[in-house]
Amino acid sequence: MKALGLSAAVATVGALLAGCGGGPGGGGGKISDGSVTLAVLNDQTAIYADLSGKNSVEAVKMAVADFTARYGDKAVTKDIKVISADHQNKPDIANSKAQELYDRQRADVILDVPSSAAALAVANQAKAKKKIFMDIGAATTELEGKQCNKYTFHYGYNTYMLANGTGSTVTKDGSKQWYIVYPDYAFGQDMNKSFTAAIQKAGGTVVKSDPAPFPNDNFSTFLLKAPGLNPKPQVLGTMQAGGDLVNLVKQYNEYKLQDKGIDLAVGLMFITDIHSLGPDALAGTKFTDPWYWNATPQNRAWADKFMAKTGKRPSFAHAANYSAATQYLEAVQRAGTDNSDDVVKALEGHKFNDVFADNAEIRAQDHLLLHDVELAQVKPAAEVKEPWDYEKILKTVPANEAFQPADGSCRL
Amino acid sequence: MVEQAFNGLVSGAFYALLALGLAVIFGMLGVVNFAHGAFYMLGAFGAFVLLDSFGIGFWAALLIVPVLLGLAGVVLERLFIRRLAALDPLYNFLLTFGLALILQDVVRSRYGVQSQQYGRPGLLDGSLNLGLFEYPAYQVFVLALSALVCGLVWLALTRTKVGMIVRASTEKPELTRALGIDVARWVTPVFGFGIALAGLAGVLAAPMRAINPLMGADLIIVVFAVVVIGGLGSVFGSVAAGFLIGLISALGNLYVPALSQTLVFILMAAVLLWRPAGLFGREEGLV
Amino acid sequence: MILRLLARRPVLLALALVVAFALPWLIYPPVAMDIAAWALFAVAVDLLLGYGGLLSFGHAAFWGTSAYTTGLIALHTGLPFPVAIVGGALAAAVLAVPIGYLSVRLSGIYFAMVTLAFAQMIYFIVNQWRDVTGGENGLQGIPRELFGLDLSDPFLFYYAGLPFVLVGLLVAWRIVRSPFGQVLMSIRDNPSRARALGYPVDRYRLLAFVLSAALAGLGGGVFAISHGFASLHDVYWTTSGQAVMMVVLGGIGTLWGAVLGAALIVSLNDYLATAGFEETGIITGLIFVVIVLLFRKGLWGTARDLTAARSGRHRPAAVPDPPSSASSSERLDQVAERSGR
Repeated sequence: MKALGLSAAVATVGALLAGCGGGPGGGGGKISDGSVTLAVLNDQTAIYADLSGKNSVEAVKMAVADFTARYGDKAVTKDIKVISADHQNKPDIANSKAQELYDRQRADVILDVPSSAAALAVANQAKAKKKIFMDIGAATTELEGKQCNKYTFHYGYNTYMLANGTGSTVTKDGSKQWYIVYPDYAFGQDMNKSFTAAIQKAGGTVVKSDPAPFPNDNFSTFLLKAPGLNPKPQVLGTMQAGGDLVNLVKQYNEYKLQDKGIDLAVGLMFITDIHSLGPDALAGTKFTDPWYWNATPQNRAWADKFMAKTGKRPSFAHAANYSAATQYLEAVQRAGTDNSDDVVKALEGHKFNDVFADNAEIRAQDHLLLHDVELAQVKPAAEVKEPWDYEKILKTVPANEAFQPADGSCRL
Repeated sequence: MVEQAFNGLVSGAFYALLALGLAVIFGMLGVVNFAHGAFYMLGAFGAFVLLDSFGIGFWAALLIVPVLLGLAGVVLERLFIRRLAALDPLYNFLLTFGLALILQDVVRSRYGVQSQQYGRPGLLDGSLNLGLFEYPAYQVFVLALSALVCGLVWLALTRTKVGMIVRASTEKPELTRALGIDVARWVTPVFGFGIALAGLAGVLAAPMRAINPLMGADLIIVVFAVVVIGGLGSVFGSVAAGFLIGLISALGNLYVPALSQTLVFILMAAVLLWRPAGLFGREEGLV
Repeated sequence: MILRLLARRPVLLALALVVAFALPWLIYPPVAMDIAAWALFAVAVDLLLGYGGLLSFGHAAFWGTSAYTTGLIALHTGLPFPVAIVGGALAAAVLAVPIGYLSVRLSGIYFAMVTLAFAQMIYFIVNQWRDVTGGENGLQGIPRELFGLDLSDPFLFYYAGLPFVLVGLLVAWRIVRSPFGQVLMSIRDNPSRARALGYPVDRYRLLAFVLSAALAGLGGGVFAISHGFASLHDVYWTTSGQAVMMVVLGGIGTLWGAVLGAALIVSLNDYLATAGFEETGIITGLIFVVIVLLFRKGLWGTARDLTAARSGRHRPAAVPDPPSSASSSERLDQVAERSGR
């Protein structure tokens, strides 16, 4: 009881003090403190480091350089800074750093922030501080659903997009009976739901869907079970990601399920996963990719520039960071100010094409970026002509089909 | 069903090899090696590096990697573990915890977090007809080899002089020393051997599991549970519990998927309640 | 001179309080709050390790369970956050009863393995049970309700959260100085003797475990309210490892050391986030290795020894190695006398 009384007293004093200072700085001036600061907050040392990490900071710097070159003296400001922080895949560090970036480093926008717990926490900070946040690294649809807010944008991909393109296309191509294996946590459960919906809409059936432990290194239970299901599935849909996906695919090949007439479809696959398994282990596998570096000459030209800087081929996350930084700066240019509310207005409903996003629109209702995505297939090793040349684009899923319709769960 | 049980034994083979290494090290040195999972990871990476940089294939790696890691274990014991031997075993637990973090991060900073490519050896690419069912040859090989290794270790422990000393000092350390048997001589080799077993498990995992710096981190916790279930300081118990847990987990995946992750720990709780010293442990191990 | 002055308890205590209250002026307030919450967590681990001789490698289960419970109470009932935090700490204590009951049957190294395994089980449950916990998305948007006051400024919230931490630290200090604490230390030094004297060793250990879990939970609740969310990371084994690291770095069995360790590790993590240095795991691992090999008494213990040597005073080593049976049995006898055994 003593503790309660004391904290209440301290809090009262605090509330009195609060009136005097603090609070988010109001707009007024065109460019606050004369400069625009873009902050990349992501995982540079743990599991998302290869997919995005430090090279996303490079991508954002490229965006700034291109923006400056494009507008020259007409640019709304010449003083554009790029700063970054590594949250080490710890949501609490992401949360503290986001506050610090907004408050002390005067960041006008935070970019990337992989993994959903960190992303949702930063979204709440953006809302509280009335500063812009463009998330690329997280897949959860909560960002544009129940937990959306005026200052948060979801950019690049989400679970619905991954599931929908693959689920409906593979079903329409004739594989009607599915067996789904998904990791038993939020991401996997979402993917299972979206996949099942897409398959049923396309006229297929899900024979069975099984939750698997996460993490897990033995998927034999499910692989052994698959051929015996009734009716026999024509395709095994796996929602596993990263190391678990690699485990599952290695074992899928050991059991030779493809020879037994069960194809493989993958919910979430990054180009780094194909590299881990080798193209032959996955040859023929279909999946949805938000962006592929070698899909068009334009993509390739950008990928070459990126490679000159980093020595690596870009993942979709690198390109999405470039695009988000570019679109943010363009919005500042249009608004003539970096005041958050004005930039949000300039971003909402904006339609554009850039190296990452074709036929793109930032949906005003929920701040989700809609853009064309690719249905890709893994090439067999014999067709791979250069390093990281792993994908064949089967078709483009148009922006309005690729992402979920705004369902009204988001109130900005 | 029989197939599923067989599959469980295959994943049990990994638990058994790792638990066996932990058990002999614990028995001889009183050290719980937290870095055991990291050495398992190094085993898999060892196989990968041999193939990727030197063109040395799976069969040679099966021998070279455990030997090299065993030597690394010898150095580790001489340089560090030994210094803390006289103190509370918690210090060596903390030391090896730190070591595990370092090893993981060294590999990560060199190779990144993505998984590395490693194919199955050509000879074992097909399936074997086991009478009742067909099964991937490689997995049959993994099961057979680890059963063989566990069996040989058991024979060595019961039939050779070295084994007698190790077992005696594992099970009755004070008495063994009192009898004037030079236990100290065998401490370093046994530590190295335990590490080599973890390395062997790693090489075996390379063709069928994802090779990345974190592959051993979560696994080691399950192996700890296996050792507790098997019995304190019981070499036989660790191996038996390894296979048993593999079996039960596989069947758990099949029949009670919602529980599959927690099943091992629930079993551990049940064993602690019923027999705190583990299935094959002796009560005197308790303090 | 100054050192000798500093070594006096009232001076030290006064200094520590000044630092505690000045902290958000000196460093970024949310980081200051993290330090305070982690300090309590580390002290809880030290209470068990340094005074009970039990290394829990699974205390994240209690820290995290409290973080989630605190969050759920605050989110769904709208009660003031202090109530939520107390509720969280209670939930941690309740969870500690079965886990502790099973774990204290094993001592030494097996205790560490078993607590680690149980904590992993809690992690899996939290991850799977998304309807309640939010799964990997975490439990987001935890409010800081306190009779309508606006505590959104982290600077102000620090002063609302600090009292919980201070009360927790005071409780830990009282436990260590109490007859119960004396018995606990005797059990640490010589369990067989304590048992022979008729002390129910397991029951003492269980009580220590539950108290420690409650304190860790108190810290976890403050942490959850401060961040406005609870995440899976709070129940992951790396979180347990980090708390142990703080204790080892600061000095086992000193309580002060745990606080110092927490301050250093939280600041280090904060620094590493923008240092552009990638090998964070190597640094953390090296801290363990170096401390364990070279400075087993940790920073606080080493510093205390140095000042004690200078001023010529001798303090009994609180670090459990090597157990000095004489002092422990004396202690036990004293306690036995006092409690009328």
